[in-house]
Amino acid sequence: MSRTNIWLWSAAGVIYAFLYVPLVIVVLYSFNDSKLNAEWVGFTLSWYKTLFQNTEMLTAARNSLIIALSASFSATLLGTMAGLAIHRYKLKVLPILVFTPVAMPEILLGVSLLLFFLQVLNLTLGMVSIIIAHTTFCIGFVAIIVRARLQGMDESIFEAARDLGASPWQTFRLVTLPLIMPAVVAGALMSFTLSIDDFVITFFTKGVGEPILPIHIYTMIKVAVTPEVNAISTLLMLLTLVMIIIAARLESHASSSANATSRETG
Amino acid sequence: MMNTRCIHPAPVASFLFLLAWLVLFTTGCAKQDQDVVFSSKENVLHLFNWNNYIAPETIGRFEKSCNCKLSQDYYSDNEEMLAKLSAGATGYDLIIPTGNAMDTLIRQGALKPLDKSLLPNLGNINPAYLDTPFDPGNKYSVPYAYTLTLLGFNQEKIKSLGLPTDTWAVIFEPKYLEKIKGRVTVLDSQRELMAAALKYLGYSVNDTDEKHWKEAANLIVRAKPYWAAFSNTSYIKELAVGNLWVAQGYSNDMFQAALDARNTGRKFTIGYSTPKEGAVLALDSMVLHRSGSRPDLAHQFINFMLEGKNSAELTNLIGSGNPNMDAIQYIQAEIANNGAIFPAPEMLNHLEMLRDLDRKQRRVLSRLWTEIKLR
Repeated sequence: MSRTNIWLWSAAGVIYAFLYVPLVIVVLYSFNDSKLNAEWVGFTLSWYKTLFQNTEMLTAARNSLIIALSASFSATLLGTMAGLAIHRYKLKVLPILVFTPVAMPEILLGVSLLLFFLQVLNLTLGMVSIIIAHTTFCIGFVAIIVRARLQGMDESIFEAARDLGASPWQTFRLVTLPLIMPAVVAGALMSFTLSIDDFVITFFTKGVGEPILPIHIYTMIKVAVTPEVNAISTLLMLLTLVMIIIAARLESHASSSANATSRETG
Repeated sequence: MMNTRCIHPAPVASFLFLLAWLVLFTTGCAKQDQDVVFSSKENVLHLFNWNNYIAPETIGRFEKSCNCKLSQDYYSDNEEMLAKLSAGATGYDLIIPTGNAMDTLIRQGALKPLDKSLLPNLGNINPAYLDTPFDPGNKYSVPYAYTLTLLGFNQEKIKSLGLPTDTWAVIFEPKYLEKIKGRVTVLDSQRELMAAALKYLGYSVNDTDEKHWKEAANLIVRAKPYWAAFSNTSYIKELAVGNLWVAQGYSNDMFQAALDARNTGRKFTIGYSTPKEGAVLALDSMVLHRSGSRPDLAHQFINFMLEGKNSAELTNLIGSGNPNMDAIQYIQAEIANNGAIFPAPEMLNHLEMLRDLDRKQRRVLSRLWTEIKLR
């Protein structure tokens, strides 16, 4: 270990600690035997029991998951298409349309979507309106990531595929998609995260009588955030972790099979 | 040529995975939509409320009594709720806003007037909380619960230091502050902190004379070096743990802190009291929104909450003030006898509700606030 190395490692350690210690504390305090949760009192599992009896909180979590999965799915699909199109054709308007929601303040997006749903579409607010809203602001993120991946690629690969007689669809399926897969997965995960913890836009576009998790938690702050919130956060963290592991698996799979393809065709 | 037909497992697998979700979601959606269509025919009362602002057992009993379902949506801030309703959100039968937000709703014509023939229990409300400047004659609103902005303190610590607990002087006068430097917080709110300063100087909380504001600002600037922070929520925990000795805050929060300090067996107790100069009272009321489809159930709910037993449950749960005279008999003795939750009649004259400022006054106040924060 050289001197620079020690410095680098300790810097990395400090940064990772800064990122992960709060999460560890959230998890620890979900086992804390105190309602106010101000400091450590004693170990208990009762908050998990309370959580599983709290139908409203569980419904809110379920709704949030359905919204996040649907929104990230449609945003990934549309965002990937947009990213490809923006990269391939020199378009003027599309990039502006796609990237604007990324840069726009959330409160503006929330209120304008609400007005649009009510006044223009005459839509009853509900799960569908939230999913449309979330898809809207996630598309931009996916498109940016996919385009960035494409920009670093050698165009001749795609030309070679076409020279060898692949139809456009085959080129996409066998060459382009496997190559941009890591970006697509990253975009999907990012959309999922953005959607599941979005408060402002969700608050405006939700209808009556459906609890949504971030709103449920945020409004609890006014009175008291019980360790129940820590408990549900812990469970969601676990779920996210599983998803990231699956995504990493898929990615390594994709890259290895893509390598295999390029070796075979090469 | 084999490999042109070889299928890549990764993208296909992920697509299938996502497709499965899509199917699941659409079936879920279809079910959801059915629910929505179904619910408009069903007996559902939609309440737009603060979170944890009604006791679960109260909900259960109300649902039994009306043979309907109570569905709640939450907001954490009056402005949030107003923004959503102004943008045109509909479907809420009942809302529970604070005084000045209710003022706005009435001015916007967003509320339905009450039908008092459906509210025989209205007589249970203490007249002191009726006929407020926000809704003269209670055309639209019925009081639900209230909060006072007051002083919370570490009883043992304050006693040992020989400080008074019944005056705003504790957070404004350097002679007291010297003993508790860095152990005091005040609210991070222009209106609330100014109100305390104005009250201490003997003015009304709604005084808009710029000279008086200047005086109040000077008082705040003089005391500021002794304060640990401007805090709106963290003071609850810090008081309960013992890091703070005095805090300006809300009565519900002080109640929570006191309860927690007791339940975790601390060596000190958290007390709270309303300063003798007077304080801010925030009254939350039940109002009917114009867009509600079930005014009948809404009136039923209001009348149900006017029964002492039902409104007492909230007070016992979170220590909120209760404007219902019939409720006192059902409230735990230590809460009922707490002068900071149920002010004595002579104290009532010193309590005031915050009125909204006009645009020019808001600008002046914001400028003063910026100066205070930068000094």
